[in-house]
Order: sequence, then C-alpha cells, then structure tokens
Amino acid sequence: MSGNNPEDQKLNLSNALRILDNAGREDPRVAGDSPNAQLQSVIDALCDLSIHDGLTGLVNATFFHAVLTREIERSLRTGRTCGLMVLDIDHFKAINDTYGHATGDAVIQAVTAELKSSLRSMDTAARIGGEEFAIILPECAPEDAIHAATRIHSVLNPVTVRLEAGSVDLTASAGLVWTSPNLSVSSTVLLSEADHEMYRAKRTGRGRICYKHADSTMISRQERSALIMLNCEERFHGR
Amino acid sequence: MAAEKHEARRIAVISGKGGVGKSVITANVAAALSSIGRRILIVDADLGLANLDVILGVAPPFTIQDILYRGRPPEEVLFPTDKGFDLMPAGSGLPEGTMFTQNLAGDIESILASLEDRYDAILFDGGAGIGDVVLFFANLAHEILLVVTPEPTSLMDAYASIKILHQVYGRSEFLLLVNQADPDCPDQIGASIAGHLQSVISRYLDSDDHGLVRIELIGSIPEDPAVPHAVMRRQLLSESCPDAPSTFLMNQVADFLDRKFL
Repeated sequence: MSGNNPEDQKLNLSNALRILDNAGREDPRVAGDSPNAQLQSVIDALCDLSIHDGLTGLVNATFFHAVLTREIERSLRTGRTCGLMVLDIDHFKAINDTYGHATGDAVIQAVTAELKSSLRSMDTAARIGGEEFAIILPECAPEDAIHAATRIHSVLNPVTVRLEAGSVDLTASAGLVWTSPNLSVSSTVLLSEADHEMYRAKRTGRGRICYKHADSTMISRQERSALIMLNCEERFHGR
Repeated sequence: MAAEKHEARRIAVISGKGGVGKSVITANVAAALSSIGRRILIVDADLGLANLDVILGVAPPFTIQDILYRGRPPEEVLFPTDKGFDLMPAGSGLPEGTMFTQNLAGDIESILASLEDRYDAILFDGGAGIGDVVLFFANLAHEILLVVTPEPTSLMDAYASIKILHQVYGRSEFLLLVNQADPDCPDQIGASIAGHLQSVISRYLDSDDHGLVRIELIGSIPEDPAVPHAVMRRQLLSESCPDAPSTFLMNQVADFLDRKFL
C-alpha cells in the first residue's frame, strides 16, 4: 500500500472524491475537520457506496448475499429459521415501455419507500435486479415469516404511484422460503428457491405471494383425525 | 369511452382425488347450461391426461397443445360438440403436458382472454391432485367447484385442495358438490359432509391472516347406475337416461350456477 506518501494520499483522495461524485454522492468532508477526519469521512462514504444500490439506497446484491450467508449460518447455529422473501413489481416492463426509463426509476423509488415503511428494524432489504427486491427476515419461525411477508406484501398490493402523467396502481408478486435449521444451503440456492416461488406467484395470477407449502399446507395429524372423525354411519349411510 | 369487455364467468371443477366424477359432471352441467341458451366452453384442463373427448364420444382434430406449441389459432382448435357447447380439448399423455412454466401459464391466459367474449361461461375440467396445473386453473377461475364423494380419501384430498388454495392463493369461497351419495338419502349425506367439512375448515383454516373460508353446498348427486351406463355408451345423461335421478340433479346444479353467476 502506498498511502504513507502524502502525495499518494492526495491522489487517492481525489480519485475517491471523483468516484463519489460520479455516483451522485456529495463530498462528505466537513470544512474545519482535521485531515484525518476528512479522509475517514471519504472512506466511510466509499464503504457506504460499495454496499448500497444507487437508485434505492437499499443494500446491493453483493452485500445482500453476504448478509444472507451470515443469517443462514446463524440459523444452523441457533436452530431458528430465517425467512427469505423475493418481490417483483408486476408488469414493470410495460411501465418502462410506456413512460420511459426515468419514470421506471421513479416507480422503483416509490415502491422502495413503501417497502421500507413495512420492514422491521431487523429485516434487510436489497434490490437484487431491475425491479426485483429481496428481504431477509431473520429469526422467524415459518408462521412468523409468513405473517411478516404477508404484511410486507399487502403494503404493495396495490400501491399507487403518482407520476407526471397521472397515477398508476401497481401490484407485486412475491415468493417466500425459509431456512431449514438442519440443512446447510448456500445463499444462491435459497435465493433461487425464493425466486421459484415468486415465479409461481406470477404465473398463477400475479399480485400474490407464494411460499413453499410442504410444511405449512401439509395436513396435520389433528386435521386428519378431525376429517375422519365424522360420524361415519351418518356420512356413509345417512342413518 | 369504449364498451366494457365481456368477461365469461370461469368456473373450475376440481376434486383433489381422481375418479370422483368431475368430467362427467362438467360435461353434463355444460350441456344443461347450453340447453337453456347459455354459451358454454369446456376447457379440458387436465393437460397431461385429458379424457373429456372420450366421455363425450368425440374425436377433435386438434388440442390446446396445437395452439401452445404449434401456433395454431385458438378458433381452429375449438371443437363445437353436438351437445350445444364447445370443447377446448387437451392432448393425452403428451410429454409437454407435464411441463408447466410461467410462459405456458401466460400463453393459456392469453388464449382464454381471446375467447372470452364468445361465451357466457368457461368451465375448466381440472385434473386430479394439487399440482401446478390444477392450482393454476383453479386460481384463474372466478368460482371453484369442488366435487367430493363420501369416501374419506376424497374428503381428505378436497380439504387439502381447499387448504392450499386458501393459504397459498388466498381463495376463500368454494362451491361443494357431493357425488355418489347413498341414493336413499343423498341430501342428508350432502348436508352432513358439507357441515363437517366446514367445521374442520373453521377450526383449522380460518385465521386473521387469511380470512374465513366458506363452502357452499350446491347439490348432492346419488350413486346412480345411469352414470356408468352413459359413460360406457359415451353419451351424456340427458341423452342416454333423461329421466334418471342424477340427470335431474345435474340440471339442478346447472340451474344454480346459472341463477347465481350467469
């Protein structure tokens, strides 16, 4: 590293400021601060830039995978499941095609604002693709994850976004999965499972949430008993 | 301002368990609705194991797979039956019937949308089970008609269908048709099954998150030798046994659907 030379430091700083400027960030230095404090503020701004999505301010896909990996490991360690929700704005391409990309960006920002308002402090939301978002719901039992995801989803269904040309009502399709405390899985695999559920929501009508139903919609022993317990004589023979 | 587009009422006939009489009921109810002047289309929604053509005794030249995979216009695939309704046949045992992708779902939605203004109602004759195709068609429908028999396995599978359609797809209203009930007291058996199913549903499925689930019994059809007789002859009940009790009750079901939804 060449940071010891004051000239190098000066050069690095100007590069850093250019990067921040290109990303639309303001110069973070506060006039009157010591040179070290100013340098630190630039480093902090660069770190912030490297983990956030420029359009929405949500964390970006790279950082999201790191957080998700950590949560999966935590789930394995503690035995508590972690939910992962994927959300995609329905018919977004039509908005881009009709109103242009600037409007599309404004829509994404408006949806993000609604999404942020519905999160718990412990949740991590990311923009992982054009109009696709992912949310980590840490330390959630499946039923809690369903509850949290349903609440988040309901905020966006529908969501009215005001544009210069008028307002549009949007919906979003969502998929939800959760970790299995006994099964090690990579963040990529878990995300693809959530994607799969989200696409199922898309192809079954959009504006809805689908989640892996192997556990939650399996008929429990109590339900089986209740169904069979029916007075058989009456049901089969009408007596 | 443009006139509002006509939207056919879509009714999915499903069961969970196979062999409970879904296709026979769909065909006979469609014929009854046609006989009172309704424009009806049946879509054979069992994409991999279609058999409505067998039940109706027809041999349509094309199937929905010809639209989906070979680009044939939907109008050419529609098969006008001599029973008064049209049939959108599906292929039987075709490998592509088992592959259900998002694109395929979108294509089917587009096909149905293009045909909507021709009909008052579109009936989906669903396959057995709770696979993606069954759930897709059920969820595409305005009304979901569940056919059950008094067998515990049928009841169990119907409950599983209701549970998944409610919890995953948010559906809360189901029509119930009991088939193959004891001919001595079909109404009593139908009411008993509906009441019991509703009580189990209320106990286990109703929740703040997903709302209440309600089933409505719309008929109870007795076990009737006229049905296998008609199926063997590949005829409708109204053709082979017009005076049979089950014929009368199929007509009643059609009347109910007509009064309530058409």
